[in-house]
Amino acid sequence: MALVTERQKIQHLLRRAGFGYRADELEMYVNLGLENTIEQLLNPEKVDDSKCEALLKDFADTQTEKFKTNVRYRTAQWHIRLAHSERPLLEKMTYFWHNHFATSMTKVSQPEFMGIQNQTLRNNALGLFPNLLQAITNDPAMMVYLDNRLNVKGAPNENYAREVMELFTMGESSGYSESDVLEAARALTGWTVNRGKNRATAALLEHDPNSLIRFRRHKHDYAQKTLLGVSGNLNSESVVAILSSRTETADFLGTRLWEWFALKNPEPQLIAKTTDAYFKSNGSIKEMVRTILTSKEMYSERAYRWRIKSPVEYVLGSIRNISGITNGKAEMSDTLSMGQQLFFPPSVAGWPGDTDWINSNTILTRTNFANELTRTYPRNRKNRTFNIPELVKEMAVINDVEKVVDFTLDLLVGGDVDAATREILIEHLGGRYHYNYDESVKNGTLNGMFYLALTMPLYQLA
Amino acid sequence: MPNTTSTIDDFVNRPLGRRSLIRKGLAIVAGAGMAAATPPAFVRAAFDEDTTNAEQKRILVVVQLGGGNDGLNTLVPYTDGAYFDARKDVALDPEELLYVDDRLALHSSLGALKNIYDRGDLGVILGVGYPKPNRSHFRSMDIWHTGSTDAHETTGWLGRFLDATHHEQNSLWRAANIGKSLSMALDSDDSFVPSLKSVPAYVLQTDPRKRSQQDRRVQDWLQLQSVQTTALAKQAEYGSQLAFVSETGISAYQSTIDLHANVSDYTPSVKYPKTPLGSALETASQLINSDTGTGVVYVTTGGFDTHAIQTATQSGLLGSVSDSLGAFQEDLESHDVADNVITLVWTEFGRRVNANGSGGTDHGTAGPAFLMGKSVNGGLHGEQPSITKLDEGGDLRYTTDFRSIYTTLLSRWFETDPTDVISGKFPELPLFSAE
Repeated sequence: MALVTERQKIQHLLRRAGFGYRADELEMYVNLGLENTIEQLLNPEKVDDSKCEALLKDFADTQTEKFKTNVRYRTAQWHIRLAHSERPLLEKMTYFWHNHFATSMTKVSQPEFMGIQNQTLRNNALGLFPNLLQAITNDPAMMVYLDNRLNVKGAPNENYAREVMELFTMGESSGYSESDVLEAARALTGWTVNRGKNRATAALLEHDPNSLIRFRRHKHDYAQKTLLGVSGNLNSESVVAILSSRTETADFLGTRLWEWFALKNPEPQLIAKTTDAYFKSNGSIKEMVRTILTSKEMYSERAYRWRIKSPVEYVLGSIRNISGITNGKAEMSDTLSMGQQLFFPPSVAGWPGDTDWINSNTILTRTNFANELTRTYPRNRKNRTFNIPELVKEMAVINDVEKVVDFTLDLLVGGDVDAATREILIEHLGGRYHYNYDESVKNGTLNGMFYLALTMPLYQLA
Repeated sequence: MPNTTSTIDDFVNRPLGRRSLIRKGLAIVAGAGMAAATPPAFVRAAFDEDTTNAEQKRILVVVQLGGGNDGLNTLVPYTDGAYFDARKDVALDPEELLYVDDRLALHSSLGALKNIYDRGDLGVILGVGYPKPNRSHFRSMDIWHTGSTDAHETTGWLGRFLDATHHEQNSLWRAANIGKSLSMALDSDDSFVPSLKSVPAYVLQTDPRKRSQQDRRVQDWLQLQSVQTTALAKQAEYGSQLAFVSETGISAYQSTIDLHANVSDYTPSVKYPKTPLGSALETASQLINSDTGTGVVYVTTGGFDTHAIQTATQSGLLGSVSDSLGAFQEDLESHDVADNVITLVWTEFGRRVNANGSGGTDHGTAGPAFLMGKSVNGGLHGEQPSITKLDEGGDLRYTTDFRSIYTTLLSRWFETDPTDVISGKFPELPLFSAE
């Protein structure tokens, strides 16, 4: 049935708190045990990520200066982290926040800004929420995206003020009024962004985000304001402090985190646990996540296998799963064909996700992507490499067809499949009497069996 | 883009003939001995019916402009002083507009559509909206998609239309959604609607170097979809998610076979703009010019949420829409199918009468919708909202309920009972020439 062994719990945890796992990576976490795995995930700064950093440096060294001015360079860099970082929870949370504080390059139009925002999210992903909220409020990309750079005294622009309450903190219809939106807008007046018309300057400024924003005193509304019952000469810091101290905010964030990691429609008592953790820790995202990852609900039947993988999880997760190595470039068109592009969420509400990812178009593109990974002569070899026969040879008992299939099913979906699925894979390899490792490599059935496992409905679920 | 379609070609062109082949494929799925997995009923049903329908039928193409296109700068009341007072630097120069009559003019970027209007083939429906207007993108889109102001409605108006007329034609390609996200307008209880990017891309690819393995991969893939639905879906809590994925997979596969068996030798007679909208309409034209029996095609395009720097942005967007629609209409006419196709262009709300402080406009209410086609009664329909007598929110009062458009299309174009689809009665519009 569901998550019985500790191994299965760790596999489930890595699907939810990361982007899946390599075969060797899984064994490393299994040796640590579930509790230590959770600790390690929650403390990414203590984990050596030098291999991933080396890949990033190699990538930087091999790309042209022209390409590096493109947003696609930053997308590829992030893809590299998703497929290779040994700090998977940090990357998963960065992705969570990208979906939460959704900001699209279509409007922002400056790649450096998107790169800065990505790093800001990563720096604060498991930190204190008030710090993250302030950083995002001051973020150049967000300032462009939700127009706070145009928000001036006398002509307040409500876009950011509205979305920060409706989508980023308290949630829609949670007790703030239209008047609160207007007052928050007034408090947020005066900020602007230096767009850096000179691209070289902009590139330098990517390392110094604070130099990209400016506060203009004469554009700020200094008059008395009242936001959610708090009165005074409120400014940007006040808005952040007021919103991050609301129970509604803790509840809203907690709900989203429960749904992200564990289960849909969490009960009030579950939300109360993460809200409690929030307030006891001065708003620590890490503590909220710890509450969820250590809960029994996280490993319950209800939490098991229901999430439909987003394109980014499916694509980069598959590459990681088969121990592939990528420079992140080829995956851009892959995820795009499935309806997702990092840095281009469809709206400020992020990606709807879940069943929205799956229709006949995207099922075909997902299946065809798996076909690319399991071709006899894969394309894009200068951008990504993988070797399924070598992986199987290294990790499985290759002369036993059942062991090869069981290795594959354990690696991809944590085992727990029906007998019929297992038989189909065994038969595809030639069955119990005709299977031979070398033959199966030569005639393509070993790749074919992986194709089937990577495209079966179970593998679309996390 | 990859074009290794050999598997599907081989399947389709096998000497056994298409139907027997599909039955053979079905037999493989049904009786391969492992788990006696019977495909779900809808799979059998689709195979049992004749899925080719070469009869010319009436087709509706829907083009969704996402973001809330500013109606007042699309169809401009250029003689109304109040327009210039309210719009300030966002108002358009009357000298540059394309005059429809002595009060209204089209945005200068809409040249191709203006030509179609002058030929009598473009209906402009004025002041389209609904009571208690909602200025949230998500909510207003839902209202237009579901054809209902009831927040609990979850099916789309076109989805309900497909369900209500299911008995008339049971083809996988009755409706087509062009894009990577299925529009809520097509959400239905019973009808599968394929989503696609283009006809050539809509294939299940397999390892081209191992031809001997291709069939086996596809057959085993199909079986796995079926097996995991029946074996796991019932017993597991995640069953419904699993079933959803596998049913989509099976339908997707069937629909690739169906599509490529029925697509004819169409080549476009025009050069479509090289934009996503241009390509989408080219794909729509290909479907219309084939034997897939497609009756509804859904296309989306976006970017109309012009809170700032509206003039330049909207100009580019409207130009792109106009050029793509112009190419589409010309292509249909060259292929002699234009009498059977109408195209509805809509947006989820118009924008506020007053400009904001950022060179743009904020979310508003009513605006014009367009219906293009040789069978359409061209010209202005309905009443242009006053820009001085506004609603309590300071926005335009709608004069045509959008459900009147839906009702008219259902009743007059598709000749079906609108009450099967739309709840409530809405007056029909004279959008079609009297027979």
